[in-house]
Amino acid sequence: MHTLFSRINNTSALLSSCVMGLLAAIAISSILIQFFESPIEGGSVLVKKVKITHGRGRQYKYEHAHVDFEVDADLSSLFNWNTKQLFLYVDAEYTNARGVKNAVVIWDRIVRRKADAKIHYAGKQKYHFKDTNTFRDAQAIYTLRYNVMPHVGALVYGVAASTNASVPFPPMVNNA
Amino acid sequence: MFTEELKAFRRLGFRHVLLQALNFASVIASGLMIWKGLGLITNSESPIVVVLSGSMEPAFYRGDLLFLTNPAAERYHNGDITVYKVPGADIPIVHRVLETHDGKSRGSSPVVQRLLTKGDNNEVNDIELYRGLDYLERKHIVGKVRGFLPYIGYVTIAMNDFPQLKYALLGGLGLLALVQRE
Repeated sequence: MHTLFSRINNTSALLSSCVMGLLAAIAISSILIQFFESPIEGGSVLVKKVKITHGRGRQYKYEHAHVDFEVDADLSSLFNWNTKQLFLYVDAEYTNARGVKNAVVIWDRIVRRKADAKIHYAGKQKYHFKDTNTFRDAQAIYTLRYNVMPHVGALVYGVAASTNASVPFPPMVNNA
Repeated sequence: MFTEELKAFRRLGFRHVLLQALNFASVIASGLMIWKGLGLITNSESPIVVVLSGSMEPAFYRGDLLFLTNPAAERYHNGDITVYKVPGADIPIVHRVLETHDGKSRGSSPVVQRLLTKGDNNEVNDIELYRGLDYLERKHIVGKVRGFLPYIGYVTIAMNDFPQLKYALLGGLGLLALVQRE
């Protein structure tokens, strides 16, 4: 009962139970906070210009879209004791002429501190935006979404802002 | 050091050894049942994975534990963090979905999707990792990350990098299981 081995045994069992209890409390409390919080308001996504061209090099046969846009949002309410980082991304959802539903991420950003949580970005997309068929007659809705990554616990996804209305794709410019 | 235990051993006889071996086997069997049961509930072949590379930093570091689910009828959206295995490679890769392209659902599979992924810490998307494929299909995905525990998985990475540690741990556990009296 009082040997060194049993003391170490009991202490480490108590320690690991306490640590697990603490981690569970952190995870559950931050989930409940997210649940009862009001959704993000006051954000906006504006698409300034869309241009369709041929791709470069090997991608010539595909239509590439070039989007200039502006996003504004205040996401500081998402930061709590259990937030490690915030992953933001703007995606474009549209259905092309073949009936295939597509969703493409065109821009993303990682926010690690609450002070950086007021987002303002005006500029070009970060990633290639191409369609293997054609963009003709299609319209896209652009949405700013977030993913809260915790120190411990479940990942949470949400929408911060959206164009709400569809933005049509213009016809392709015929020089690469 | 073990003279007391050895004497008790000889006193209790061969039956005792068999009983201890049976206890050992039932512990291993119930562990396996729990693992496979979890795999069935989450519909994922490996519902708990350890992050092996730094391609998702600063979100996930090497040694973090991830909990996955893979509901067959659910579409994956971009921004989801998925674990996938390219056919021909054994290593599961944890990256975020960049693009999804949905087709109409066909007979056996309720969801037909083609996906493109990219690690947060990488500059380019994963095309080069796909070994010839242009997009991933649903059947390549092991699951979507739902929950996360930091650092815990480092034990398995250490055991892979230092196999002596693995043998020492197994040997010690085996010895302990045999000489325990209850």
